[in-house]
Amino acid sequence: MIVGVHRSACAVGAKGFRALGRTVLAGILATLCAAAWAGPSPDKLLIEKCGACHQEGKALQRITTMRKSPEGWDMTIVRMGIWHKVEVSKSERKTLVKYLADRQGLAPEESAPYRFLLERRPNAQDVAPSEDLAQMCGRCHSFGRVALQRRDVAEWRKLVHTHVGQFPSVEYSNMGRDRNWFDLALGDVAPKLAKLYPQRTAAWSKWQQARHVAPSGTWRVAGSRPGWGGYSGYMVVRALGADRYDVKYDLQYDAGNHVVGQGDAIVYTGYEWRGSAKLGNQEVRSVFALGGDGKRMSGRWFLRDADEIGASFEAVRSDAVPADTVVAVSPALLKAGTTTVVRVSGVKLGTQFDFGPDVAVQKVERVSPDEVQLSVAVAAGAAPGWRQIGRGAGAQVALYRQIDAIRVEPEFAHARLGGGTTAPVSAQFEAIAFCNGADGKEIRLGPVHATWGVDNFDARAKADDDVKFAGAMEPHGQFLPAFAGPNPARNNLNNVGDLAVQATVADGDRTVAGSGRLVVSVQRWNTPPLR
Amino acid sequence: MKRLIPLNEKARHLAQPSAAPAAGEATLMSNVVGCTTTFDPGWELDAFGGLASLCQPMEADLYGCTDPCWWPAQLADSMNTAPEWTDGKNSALRDWRELQTLFPED
Repeated sequence: MIVGVHRSACAVGAKGFRALGRTVLAGILATLCAAAWAGPSPDKLLIEKCGACHQEGKALQRITTMRKSPEGWDMTIVRMGIWHKVEVSKSERKTLVKYLADRQGLAPEESAPYRFLLERRPNAQDVAPSEDLAQMCGRCHSFGRVALQRRDVAEWRKLVHTHVGQFPSVEYSNMGRDRNWFDLALGDVAPKLAKLYPQRTAAWSKWQQARHVAPSGTWRVAGSRPGWGGYSGYMVVRALGADRYDVKYDLQYDAGNHVVGQGDAIVYTGYEWRGSAKLGNQEVRSVFALGGDGKRMSGRWFLRDADEIGASFEAVRSDAVPADTVVAVSPALLKAGTTTVVRVSGVKLGTQFDFGPDVAVQKVERVSPDEVQLSVAVAAGAAPGWRQIGRGAGAQVALYRQIDAIRVEPEFAHARLGGGTTAPVSAQFEAIAFCNGADGKEIRLGPVHATWGVDNFDARAKADDDVKFAGAMEPHGQFLPAFAGPNPARNNLNNVGDLAVQATVADGDRTVAGSGRLVVSVQRWNTPPLR
Repeated sequence: MKRLIPLNEKARHLAQPSAAPAAGEATLMSNVVGCTTTFDPGWELDAFGGLASLCQPMEADLYGCTDPCWWPAQLADSMNTAPEWTDGKNSALRDWRELQTLFPED
């Protein structure tokens, strides 16, 4: 909850100190007052900004009858500014989002299925529960945007009215004009949404009553940034009060680069971590979820100005997990018939790890209390597959004899041209190695280094020579799209393109290739956090 | 539609999807998050996951679409949401660089 300090209280206090000649203390008090929230309390701010339209008697209509994610509330407040010219400063906007998300948020299990949307994972497949809901909601925006809200049926119906009033094209566009859209939306879809996503749930009641653990402390972290590879390290979180935190990062990438960072974070609804930091020379945002009684945190961080570029993030609180908890093994892919130096990262690690049959740990070197380096020899006949070598989700290695297939992920990707006021949206690919298991089933090994290329996807793309205009593929698998705007060199086209993406991977003397598809399309001018 | 014969390359491309087998048709159950594919046509992708059926170049017809509230999740529809979005930017082909994004930074 926001701590409110009223201007009047500060003024009186400072005046009193001056009267006593305590100018130094008065200065300190003035500084503290300036640093604290100087406006009305959040509940009064809500009435002040929203009451003119929403207040009936002592109650706020509509606002109090729905629950949303922090991003959902932020979009609501911004929408009121765009639609109805409500003037809300940046600090007031943050205050209102915190106040509303804390009181009318989502329980962890309610947001869990659509965290990919909150985490802004690029090229995720947005799947609606049924075709009619996909057609009703998911044809303009993600269905996740709907599924991250909770309303009763009357409130869902009001949302239908809002849509048809604000966006009448819902009725006359494809899948709207070919049916009695309004009656279907009110009569069928609203009750269905109220059943799927009701305002009152046992999960939310339970979460409201639960004790929410603050994330202060030292966290052992690990993750993978497509294009850069895996990393492990530390995150140190210090409480600033009012669910706000100072954060320091120290990350070691498998490729050898060491990155430190500092920033801040705020926790909404008792578990929704939203951070901002400078990591190395890059401004990043983080969207994590606190879980496991405050012992774990997971999510994704991404570049502030290019949210398609980011990394997975898994963390355990160092003082809350048992010794010998492993967060990462690097490299995690071990080829049969070879000896590999492996770095194991975790919390208070011992030196004993069980790699299973046909694997010998020949040498153990302690790097730090939380890290050991092993020389691991895998016999030529070792059975392929994943093996758990110790405690923790990160304590896994995959054995393989050869790479049998390469899949490009995402298999279907989307990038956007950039220019004017809109930044380009690149596409980051990974080459994922697979091998055949003893049972004949494919085993997903993980990302491997590849040589990348692009070509025209089909005859139409070849006719327009899309590959020449749409952009360029970087050596680390990131496609950088070209500039937006009509291109006089193309026949009635801007620089859009439909491309085939090729990854070639060396595996000993063999090469294995995989392919994907990339559509480079146009920019968008409406860029809310939940698309 | 049987009486209509495509006369140029683009028309032939547009006609192709209707001749494709039903099994290959796109459905809405799953989509790349944040894209609209079926607003006849889609904005980023067409219903077949490609570009062939989209308005191209989009700048040539942008205002003709934002005025009647087409693709309101992707663009600033000038019917209700942002009536002033195109003020002073009379030609999308020329002035698209000046169009402002709708959602303010936090």
